[in-house]
This record gives sequence, C-alpha cells and structure tokens, in this order.
Amino acid sequence: MAKVGFTAAVLKEVNTLFGRYPQKVHALLPLLHIVQRENDGWLPPGWETYVAELCEVTVNHVRGVITFYNMYRDHPPGKYHIMVCTCVPCGLCGGVEILEHLEKRLAIHPGNTTADGLFSLEEAQCLAACDQAPLMMVNEDMQFRITPEEIDRWIGEVRAKKA
Amino acid sequence: MAEEKLLVLKNIRDPGYAGDLAAYRKTGGYTALKKVLQAMKPEEVVEAVKASGLRGRGGAGFSCGMKWGFMPPPGDKPHYLVCNADESEPGTFKDHLLMVGDPHMFVEGMIIGCFAMHSRHSYIYIRGESMYAIRRVQAAIDELYRNHLLGKNILGSGYDLDLTVHPGAGAYICGEETAMLDSLEGKRGLPRFKPPFPAQSGFDACPTTVNNVETLANVPFIINEGTEAFAALGTPNNTGTQAVCISGHLERPGVYEVEMGHNLESLIYEYAGGIRGGKLLKAVVPGGASADVLRADEIDIPYDFDSLTNAGTMRGSAAVMVFDEDTDMVEVAERTIRFFNHESCGQCTPCREGTFWIKNMIRQFLDDAGDEALMQRVDRAAGNIIGTTICAFGDAVGGPMQAFVRKFPEEFRKHFAS
Ligand SMILES: Cc1cc2nc3c(=O)[nH]c(=O)nc-3n(C[C@H](O)[C@H](O)[C@H](O)COP(=O)(O)O)c2cc1C
Ligand code: SF4
Ligand code: FES
Repeated sequence: MAKVGFTAAVLKEVNTLFGRYPQKVHALLPLLHIVQRENDGWLPPGWETYVAELCEVTVNHVRGVITFYNMYRDHPPGKYHIMVCTCVPCGLCGGVEILEHLEKRLAIHPGNTTADGLFSLEEAQCLAACDQAPLMMVNEDMQFRITPEEIDRWIGEVRAKKA
Repeated sequence: MAEEKLLVLKNIRDPGYAGDLAAYRKTGGYTALKKVLQAMKPEEVVEAVKASGLRGRGGAGFSCGMKWGFMPPPGDKPHYLVCNADESEPGTFKDHLLMVGDPHMFVEGMIIGCFAMHSRHSYIYIRGESMYAIRRVQAAIDELYRNHLLGKNILGSGYDLDLTVHPGAGAYICGEETAMLDSLEGKRGLPRFKPPFPAQSGFDACPTTVNNVETLANVPFIINEGTEAFAALGTPNNTGTQAVCISGHLERPGVYEVEMGHNLESLIYEYAGGIRGGKLLKAVVPGGASADVLRADEIDIPYDFDSLTNAGTMRGSAAVMVFDEDTDMVEVAERTIRFFNHESCGQCTPCREGTFWIKNMIRQFLDDAGDEALMQRVDRAAGNIIGTTICAFGDAVGGPMQAFVRKFPEEFRKHFAS
C-alpha cells in the first residue's frame, strides 16, 4: 500500500489553508479535495485517520463527511471520469440517451470503471449548464451539446492513444 | 433578438471583455468600493441597500437590506458574510455565468457588504464540481490582494478584509443557507433549526449573513448610480433586473437579463426564440425544480417574486424550464422526484421517506401500472411533506409533486394499467 501522509510541500499548503478558518476542522472539505488531488482522485485507506489527526477530530467525523458528499470516492476513478447530467431539464433534452449510449459503449454501469482503468462513469444531478444539454463532464471539462457520434470518436481516440 | 436590460450582465455582454481587474476597472469597477470606504458609514450602506428594494436573488426573495440590518453591531465575536455560489437548483446556471464572466462585480458587492456588516473575514462557497469557476474567482481574489483591495488597510481606509474561496463537495442541500454553514464548518451539510437565525448564530456560532452571487453583483450599481436609479427598474415591490435562466425545448436557451416584472411568455418566445422546431408548448416550471409547474395557458404573467407567488408558484432561482408538446409530464415528475430523493439530507422522516415513496409511485406510472388511487396517494404523500420538515426542501418537493398530478392528470391517466 502506498504511504499515507502529505509531503512537506503539501503540508505547507495545508497549514496555509488551516490559517484561513477559525478552527482546523472547518477546512475539512478543501483538505479532502487535496487528498484526492494527491491520490489520483480518490481517498485510499488510511487517509481518513491521517486527516482526522490533522484536523483534530474523530475518524468517525471524517467518515461521516466523506459519505455525505458525492465528490469523495472510496475507489479510484478512471483516467477519464465521465459525469452525465440526467436531471431536469437535461434528462428531457437527451441526457438519458447519452448516458445509455455511454453505458453500452463502455459496457459499464454508472459507478463503475472500465477494466483498462481508462473510463469511469457517473450519473450526475444538475451541473449548472442546463442551456447546453445534453452535456457531460470529463474530469474538469464540460462537453456541451454532445452527440453519440462525438462520444464514439473521442472514446476511439483515447483507446487508440493507449494502444 | 429582443433587447436585454443590462445591469449584472453589462460587462459580460461586451464581447471583448476579459473579466480581469484591469478590464473591470475600465468599466468603473471598484469606484463604488472607494466611495463606500471613503465617504460612507456601514449603517448608511445598509440603508442604501434597504432603500433600493433589492431582494435576494438566491431563492426566497427576502429584502437584502433588511437582512443586512439584522446583523448586530460589532461586538467581541467576528461577523461573517457567506456568498452562496453553490448553484445546484435544477435549471439554474446564472451564478456560474456571473462568476466566470465578471468575477469582480459580485466580489466588489461582497466587499461592500462585508464593510457594511463589520466583517473582517468572509467566505465564498462555490460548488465543488465547478473547478473552472473556483479558479476564476480565486484568480480575481489573488489580483485584489496584489492590488491592496483586499487584506490590510484597503485603499488606505483602515479597513481590513480577507476573503476565502471554499469549495463544496457535491451536495445540493448545501445551497440551503444553514446547511451551507455546517458544510463550511467541515461537517455534513445538515440544515439547522431556526431560530436561532444566522444573524444571531451562524458560521462558527457567530453573526452571519448568507447572500447569493447575483444579489451581491447588484450592490456596486446601487452605490454608484443611487437607490432611485435601481428602484426605477422593475416594479415597486420587485425592483431591479434579473438574470433569468431559460432551458429546455427552446430555440435559444440561455441567460437573459430583463427587468423584474417582464412578461414570462415574452421571455420564452422573444428572448429564448420560442419552442424548438416550431412545436407547441406544454408546460413551464418557472423557478427551478422547487417551483410548481404552470400549464401552457398560464404563462402570460409578469415574471417577478410577487407575481409568481400570486400565480401559485414561485420565482425561486429564476430558472425557467420549458417543455414542448411531445413531453411526457410523468417523466418530468420522475426526473424531479429522483433529484429530490437523491438530495434529501435525511434528517426529517417525511422528507427522507416521502421522497422515496413518491419516486416509487411515479415509477409505477412509467411502468403503465398507475390508477386513480395511486394518483391520490402521490398527492397525499406530497402533502404530508409540506410544512413538516426542518428546512424548505420539504415544501420544495411537496408543492411541485402535487402540482404535477393536479395540473396534468391526463398525462398520468395515459399511464393507467389497462
Ligand atoms: C434546498 C435549498 C437549496 C438552496 N440552494 C440555493 C443555491 O444553490 N443558491 C442560492 O443562492 N440560494 C439557495 N437557496 C436559498 C438560500 O437558503 C438562501 O436563502 C439564499 O442564499 C440567500 O441569499 P439571498 O438573500 O441573496 O437570495 C436554497 C434554499 C433551499 C431551501
Ligand atoms: S426537509 Fe429534507 S433536506 Fe431539509 S432538513 Fe429535512 S430531510 Fe433534510
Ligand atoms: S439539468 Fe443538466 S446541467 Fe442542469
């Protein structure tokens, strides 16, 4: 298992972060984002305890927070993490069809990662870009008014690069 | 295209506008802050905002100046202003545009608000998925520190202020102001009982005010142009302009800024270009998923807080969702309840259980296994959530679900078991 704990440089960043709040625990959300940034987008085992110690709270507190919010993951996402909005109105403007297309094309259901570790899929609630439906988010980038053909082309390109 | 009334989108509509500090300053940016710091007392700022009639653009439409006035005079506890940039209400995407297109405008409003409420450190809570907006706003804040418009002794006035951008982590309920405060304290985002109200006990148990991005973006105009100039826009009890988000089956979905009280039908047909492919309109959800649906024949009304309330629905987050004649309204109801069931924080039994049961009942319709009794049951279950919960989320689910079955019974009847 990879080592649990921040490098000196990240610890410095964390101390600056703590300085912006009245109590260390207030910085827990951004702190967990930093843990994920340093660990390929997820929270590997052991980090809950480490973070709890840094913030001076119980592990249970940290665990409660992790399980409440959608963005914290207990398993690694794919290299390309895809979120498809199927909320109102996107879901009625092609979002559901886009998700179904991705499920078929990648042969995974939302919540899973392809065997080659390249793609993971998530069904999202409103992502605040409803005028661009149907849309998907790949890692941090939004892809607007996406079509099945564009998706196929993109997946083909990513896989070709890898091969 | 019909002409907009530009106030908060004024700079954004200029195609060459870069949105950085230099560009914002060229448009007169930070002159309002200068005026406030050099010539106004905090109470005078509160009075000006009160007199402008500015109502909160985040959802409830409460008087911004009154809210600021609830903050106690300076004491031993720090005061906080939290900018609500969580923007997660389905159909809403205006705050994102404001943050990305013109980050300095709402930040200037926020600094003025902080001064008016005696805050020395405040927070901008941006939803965690919007990394681009987080970076953009952070870059604006960094520019301000470099130019002595944040930090110690701003513009030589002796006033010190720090602003911190705080990322959320994916939970709609954190847009509710007390849940947001818990989330900002590093907890699960659970709405709190009120009272105490945030002005008495908010972030870290200190006096706190929560304001929406667009609300704050209006403040520099009010200071620069005066309360009368602002109050001259819109209608007497619904002053100013509004950035309306229009989405769904339209030719030109997007954000359009119009005066308060602008006709809803005109927004849909003249601004958003009417229904896609020349189809007929079936339904409009006028204020985010939390607002009651309107039938096509109910949309010839002014679009503002009071008019929408009088029409039995609400303006909410100014998210107009438009559905054409081919739409199955049971599917709209299903998408809506699935959202609410997913996002209920789970504290209150009627909300936690009710959203689950209603979702299952609506799905029975989609399986063509509905009947009259099931329609009644959806209505009753929705009614049982209204008024029985800690936060307004409960009413936001119950009302719309009742409206779907009451206003579109024929759509549900198409899904009766044969
Ligand atoms: C369930 C729920 C979700 C909300 N989400 C948001 C939101 O995403 N953004 C927002 O500005 N206000 C939201 N609100 C309203 C806030 O609680 C609060 O009233 C608002 O931020 C106050 O700012 P204003 O007075 O400037 O409008 C939400 C309210 C509820 C009940
Ligand atoms: S109404 Fe729903 S979201 Fe609000 S506190 Fe109760 S359970 Fe949570
Ligand atoms: S519903 Fe998909 S971005 Fe809003």
